Amino acid sequence: MTDVAITTKSQTRAVVRLRNWTVYFGACAFVGFALFPLYMMITTSVKTDQQAFAWPPVWVFTPNFNAYYNALFVFGGRGVGHYLMNSLLVTVASSALAVFLGAMAAYGLARFRFLGNRDIAFFILSTRFAPPIGFIVPIYLMATRSGLLDSPIALIIVYTSMNLSLATWLLRGFFLEIPIEIEEAALVDGYTRWQIFLRVALPLVRPGLAATAILSAILSWNEFLFASIIAPGNAATIPVFLSGFSASMNIDWAEYMAVGTMAILPIMLFTLLLQRHLVRGLTFGAVR
Amino acid sequence: MAAAKQADRRTAFLLIAPAMLVLLGVNVYPFLYALYISAHTYTLGRPTPPRYIGLFNYSDLLEDDRFLNALLVSFKFVTLAVSIEFLLGIGLAFLFSARLRGLATLRKLAILPIMVMPLASGLIWFYILNENFGALNWFAILLGSPERIRFLTGDPHALLSLVLADAWQWIPFVMLVMYAALQSIPEYVYEAAKMDGLTGWQTFLRVTLPLLAPAIWVVVILRAVDAFRMIELIYLMTRGGPGGATETLSWYIYSTGFLNQDLGYAAAQAVVMMIVVTIIAQIFVRRLEYREAK
Repeated sequence: MTDVAITTKSQTRAVVRLRNWTVYFGACAFVGFALFPLYMMITTSVKTDQQAFAWPPVWVFTPNFNAYYNALFVFGGRGVGHYLMNSLLVTVASSALAVFLGAMAAYGLARFRFLGNRDIAFFILSTRFAPPIGFIVPIYLMATRSGLLDSPIALIIVYTSMNLSLATWLLRGFFLEIPIEIEEAALVDGYTRWQIFLRVALPLVRPGLAATAILSAILSWNEFLFASIIAPGNAATIPVFLSGFSASMNIDWAEYMAVGTMAILPIMLFTLLLQRHLVRGLTFGAVR
Repeated sequence: MAAAKQADRRTAFLLIAPAMLVLLGVNVYPFLYALYISAHTYTLGRPTPPRYIGLFNYSDLLEDDRFLNALLVSFKFVTLAVSIEFLLGIGLAFLFSARLRGLATLRKLAILPIMVMPLASGLIWFYILNENFGALNWFAILLGSPERIRFLTGDPHALLSLVLADAWQWIPFVMLVMYAALQSIPEYVYEAAKMDGLTGWQTFLRVTLPLLAPAIWVVVILRAVDAFRMIELIYLMTRGGPGGATETLSWYIYSTGFLNQDLGYAAAQAVVMMIVVTIIAQIFVRRLEYREAK
């Protein structure tokens, strides 16, 4: 990547300017492509029913917020708030558990030498690749047998396990980065191993804990397949609620888009918060 | 000293055991259970107990045209989606690496789709691609298409629409990761290449690309595995139609198990899928293990 800023004298200013404009044009075109569907979702959520269905599509209109009101307080007799709360409960509980259990395992793997250490680490990583659809039949039967079908507990357990490989791998990397001398000093000071883990090591990887928690939360919040099978009714989360859309004959576009908007806006904010560790998290620490 | 070592081992065990227990319970045990179910006829919601039939479900698979079709559709979808995402993503990573004012802000906007709930992106694209009132058809006609395009019910169209929706979400991911990888290449490497008299193209092929290789591996494998398991877009946009043209393996398993209630057969398909994914995953894990060992 030669820099546009560093130019040889033989290059005329016109060429540089042309190149810059091409870069701007390409970047803007792509950003337009990336944002257009989000724009459509948000604008449709403030259309009336007729406007949402209109041909040709209505581009200029006065926004109204009936769809939000209906989604929150009217929709099918039970507002979408119930499903938002289900999602929130499952998301918070499963990411907290995943971060906690993951941090423990990561610390154990990063700081203790024992036979099979690396095998365990790579086994945990490989669970990331197992396709959920491969487990869906047994998990469904297990949930039915244990009476946990359509309960948030089943989802919390499944999502915790889903996020554990991410949590363990990311945090293992963060633990390996802190200089071991700090912990050795604590050991000399008479701290036990557990005290060192809880009071010395954990605070040092706080950015890692935050990144892991946010990424786990996003994955749990967005998960659809398990939720649709083991939490189809009362415990349904937001994606399950949204999926009911394709089955309903009387599609109310504006209301579904309102729910969709409410489901993705919190995540957008999280993504902006996460910027610093986003790449590291998304690639399991392989790329920084 | 020996006592301390033993205590250490106990601590390590206690630290790792809870996570391992969860993974054994929710990953390993269900996989074994799936193997067990796959050797039975097992119909959802029927009171008769499952009946042992050995490998019959697997021999059925070999003669099942829908299964072979699903494998093919999955292969088409993964290859198309991942290659488009990769090529455009890496191109954009270079584009966004230009040092121009305002590009950083544009880059932050461009990655917003990554975190959108896949089901919500299915909903948006279903709306945009709708034949009767979708915005994309409006653009198509504006650009001179003689009639409305059947984006979701036409034969190659439906699969391409899924690729479009998938690419919308994941090009930014490839771009983001490759951008980070590009930034991590130190400036002096390029200076050295310049001193050695390499042309821009030679620098790209012999310097930049080899340095990007590890990141490329990570991105391609992650994308391939995730595209293979993708189900949300199909659920919302095409439901496997028209005539099986978008019925991927994931969708076929889902519909066998939970739309046709044939759990035994679905489990057999799932086992085959797990084996395929495990092979791909092993390549990834082995490479990482190798790099760590170095």
